[in-house]
This record gives sequence, C-alpha cells and structure tokens, in this order.
Amino acid sequence: MENKKPLIELKNISKSYDDEVVVNDVNLTIYENEFLTLLGPSGCGKTTILRMIAGFIKPEAGEVIINGKIFNDLPAYARPIHTVFQKYALFPHLNVIDNVAFGLNNRSWEYLESFFGKDKIEKEAKELGDISKKTIIRKAIKNLIYKDSEQALKLVKLEGFKKRKVDQLSGGQQQRVALARALVNKPQILLLDEPLAALDLKLRQNMQYELKEMQRNLGITFLFVTHDQEEAMTMSDRIVVMKEGVIQQLGTPKSIYNEPINRYVANFIGETNILKGTYIKKDTVNFLGVDFKCMGYTFNDNEEVDVVIRPEDFDVVDTDKAKLVGEVVFSLFKGVHNEYEVLVKNEKLLVHTYESYEVGQPIGLTIDPYEIHMMKVEKGE
Amino acid sequence: MNKEFKVLARPYMVWLSVLVFVPILAMILISISNLNSSVSVGELMISFSHFKLLLESSTLIAFRNSLVFATLTTLLSFVLGYFIAYEIKLSKFKNKFILLTIVILPMWSNLILRTESLANIMSENNILKSILGFNLFGNISGTGVAVLFGLVFTYMPFMILSVYTALEKIDFALEEAALDLGLSPIKKFWKVVFPLSLKGVVTGSIMVFLPTLAGFAIPKILSRGRIVFIGTIIENKFVYTNYNHGALLAVVILFFILGSILLLTKFDKEGETLL
Repeated sequence: MENKKPLIELKNISKSYDDEVVVNDVNLTIYENEFLTLLGPSGCGKTTILRMIAGFIKPEAGEVIINGKIFNDLPAYARPIHTVFQKYALFPHLNVIDNVAFGLNNRSWEYLESFFGKDKIEKEAKELGDISKKTIIRKAIKNLIYKDSEQALKLVKLEGFKKRKVDQLSGGQQQRVALARALVNKPQILLLDEPLAALDLKLRQNMQYELKEMQRNLGITFLFVTHDQEEAMTMSDRIVVMKEGVIQQLGTPKSIYNEPINRYVANFIGETNILKGTYIKKDTVNFLGVDFKCMGYTFNDNEEVDVVIRPEDFDVVDTDKAKLVGEVVFSLFKGVHNEYEVLVKNEKLLVHTYESYEVGQPIGLTIDPYEIHMMKVEKGE
Repeated sequence: MNKEFKVLARPYMVWLSVLVFVPILAMILISISNLNSSVSVGELMISFSHFKLLLESSTLIAFRNSLVFATLTTLLSFVLGYFIAYEIKLSKFKNKFILLTIVILPMWSNLILRTESLANIMSENNILKSILGFNLFGNISGTGVAVLFGLVFTYMPFMILSVYTALEKIDFALEEAALDLGLSPIKKFWKVVFPLSLKGVVTGSIMVFLPTLAGFAIPKILSRGRIVFIGTIIENKFVYTNYNHGALLAVVILFFILGSILLLTKFDKEGETLL
C-alpha cells in the first residue's frame, strides 16, 4: 500500500450539528484503486464524512484534499466524484437509459469533447456525414453518450431494460441503474452510501461480489459506507471502524478481525469472547484462573489486559487433555458448525466447533498461543 | 367497496343527483328547447333556432374575452405563483403552514366584497389615496388591466398551493443526485425540479383557468361593465328569462370544463396533486 498514490486526504476534519460533534478531528488517506469501507453504527459520522467528500456538507474545520488540491469550497457538481445514494434517487420522470445518460447529457460541449476525446468524436461523426457541420458533431456526441450508457447498463446486467420506467423496476434493479448512472461518468472516486441496505439477503450477497468485481476491473476507488460488518469484511481492501465521530481502527479486514484494538471494535466485528486477564510475564497470560502461552504481545509484567478469543479459535479436546473444562449450557446447529455456550468458572464462552455435544455434557477446550489476542484495558471500564 | 361505506355514501349520491345531475340534464334539455318567459307550457317544444346565438358577434366577443383573460390569468398566475411557491419551499422558515395560510388569507373574506373593495381602491378617489397621499393603482378601474389584476389576485392562491404541494413531494435526494452528476443549480432546476413539478402546474392551471373562464362577478365589477365575459352574458340571459339562450351558452362552457378535466386526468392519473 505504501507505493500507492493518495487520492483523497482528509486532514483534521470536524463537523457538528447543534453542538453535537458528529465528526471529530478525523484524519484519513484513501489511495487509488482501493475499496475502503467506513464501518460503524448509525450516527457514528460515516455518512457525514462521505457527504463532505461528495461536497454536500462543508467541514467546519480541516481540509478535504482530492488529487492534492483542497476541495473544501468546491460545490458538489464540480467534483470528479459520483455517489450511489442509499435510496437510489433515480429520476422518476426519465426512463432507465435516460437516467443513466443524465449526467453526460447535461455536460457542456467542452467537457464532452475532452471526455470522449476529439478522435473518437470525429470517427463517430464520419459515419454520420459531413464532420464540419455542428449538428453532425452534436449527433455524434449524443450517439457516444448513449453507446456508453448502454455499455454501463450491460455492466450492471440490465441491457434489456433501456426503455423501462424506473418505477417498474425492483429494488435490486433500481440499485443497478443507480450504479450505472454513476459509473458511466467514469468517476475517479465512487461513493456508496449503504447502497445494499434495502435489498434482501441473497441479492445483497450477490451484489457484494459484483461490486467488488467491478471495482477491481474498473480501477475506480470505492468508498463504501455501511453498518454491516459482514458486508465490510467481504468487499473491502481496508476498513475504517468508527464510533461517535472518531476513527477507532483502520486496517485490512483480517487485521481488524484478528487484532481488534479495543472492546468496541472486537464487539462490532463479529462474535467474540472478551475476558479479563493478567499478563504474567513475557509469553504468558492468565485468564479464567489458568496460565496460557501466548505470543507477539508486550505489556508490563502483571498488567491487567483484555483477552479476545474468537469462538472458532477454541480447540475442542478430551477433558483430561484440556486446559479449560466447562459444561455445555446451550447448543445451536448452524449448518456448517455447531455453536455452543460453555460455562467455565461462571464465565460463558461462545464456542464454534464441528464436534457435536449435548447440553449438560462436559467439554474440554484448549487455545493455541497465536489465537490469543490481547488489548490494553481501556480506562473508565 | 364495503357495504357500510355504500350506505354512508347514499346521502351524497342523493345530493349529487338532485343538485348536480338533474340540473345538468335539465340545462341540456332547456338548451335545445324554445323555453323562455314568453313561452307557455303548452307551446314548449324542441327548437334549434336560437343556436344562431352562438354566431352572434356579441357572443363571440364574450367568448374571446373569456378565453383571452383566462389564458392571461393562468399564465400570470403560473409565473408569479410558481416563483412564490418555490420561495416558500426554499424558505428556512420553520412553520411553512403559516406562510401558506397567508397565501390563502384573502379567501377568508367574501369574494364580492373583496372585489368591490379592489374596484374602490382602483378608482380615482379612494380611502387608500387619502392614507398614502398618492394613488397606488393609478386610475385603472374599468380597464382590462384592472380585471386581470383582480383575476390573478383572486385565483393565484390555487396555483401556489398546487405547485407547492408538487414541489414538496420532490425527494431532496433527487436534487442532490443532480448536483452529484455535475449539474449546476440552475440546470438542476430545469432538468429535475421543474419537470417533476409539472403535475402541480397543470392542476393549478386548470384550477385557475376554469373559474376565470366561467366567472362573471370579477370582470363585471372591475371593468365597470365594459368588458363582457361569457359568464356575464349567461347571467344576463337568465336574469332576463331567456332560459334556452342561457342554457345553451352554459352547455358550451360545460364542454370546456369537461375537456379540461379530461386533460387533467391524463396528466395526473393518481389524482395526487388534487390534494
């Protein structure tokens, strides 16, 4: 990632509504061709950041830098950025193809000339007739706009829907039209504001793969906003976890999942067990009254720590070989694996395993040293 | 429909038949009869001889006046009313209901009274002149401008309300989407806001056009009888008991109204702009 070119830089940006700070001194660099997700519960400021980049809101403090230029005061329509809105915002008075072509149809002559390139326009015009005539050039540009629009519709698999009215489309199809409408303008940056929130599960999963695929093929930077951690995990190159206007953690999905920086992130990203423990000495940690081997963390000797263990990181073994012995108090068959709640020394642990146990049965657990993750105890807890 | 609701609708159906359908039917029948005050019941018969009335120049001029003034009133109401509705929509004022109330406030007073007062302050000597020290309207009473002013003043609120309703229904995200796609605010207005408010404009236009076309009180008072509308003639015909003449002209007006309503339903299938 280090050799990549920064595309958007946010420097110390802040925004508040009625004395309530929604974005608090955020610094963030977004690189070319990456899929970055802003993840957090509603009200964490993720949409506000997106809207500041799009140009709908001005930051109160700090700078929005795009391609090295300060964009703070540039209105939305002058930015090389397009947005896919949460509720699609398709124009009900236009049909599908006109919705897609809307942006280009309303651009100036000069803009379109550099957008398509003189050669391409002339080539198209030659097929229509005399290229010295303005009307022919105009017609050629129109043709190119609609060719591109059809291409964009093809990209989102809606070729047959050109002449449909937008209110005759399903939610998923409207979503695709919204996507095509943004992509046809060949933006450098595409902002997506919870675009999948209104779709049903199956469709949402399909769209996740398609979006990722599109991003990879088109080489556009995607900035995605969601409150769904699974969605963020599936698609992103990097994830920004936010809480109350502040960035909690920034990293690859893997690093955020495996090494959450605090309880908030650990809880937000998937199911997990967080236990109170003590860092005895190098490579040894004690929790649930047992000493465990651990690796890769340095704290002070005898410092209190939070231990994070993902439910799938427990190894289920015979009770005589186990480090922890508990009793299954709840079981749920989840298809691929079984989910158990195991009571160990008055602490309920969530365990995923392929082995099957009955409620009330004793169960033995061990944990590999590299699966034990530790976090500094946050003040105020 | 629910059975109970059908029962509830019955009084209205009676009302509608007695006071709308029967009179319209009677009017159509009268319009093709020879009924007037000099005809006794025994002599009553179907007659078309009075149809020549439609080609008389006084009738044609009255029709022309009505159409010209109705069209001008609609256009002026549209231009001014749209602007006002748009300003109300854009205003940051918390309680827009109050703004709308101000718009319809003049309707709370009696139409004739309001028009008479208007005629009064448009004439040479009036109370407003003695307060202000100058004549606000000049001395336009009796002119076409006075009539036009009165018509726009009276009917523009209908335009404002229906355009405002249509504007309020436009999802703000659509305007943001237009800006996002590179449209300047002015282009955004013409390409997104205006087309989406057209339904309101059509409804408003019909609500202004129809009463202006058929009305007679405002032109009669403000033009001091100098400008004759078709409504004025119809009124006179009935006052002077030329029933078949009056009915015939009223039927013609009725066709105009039905045509307009057909136009409306074509634009507004869900009837949503009619509130």
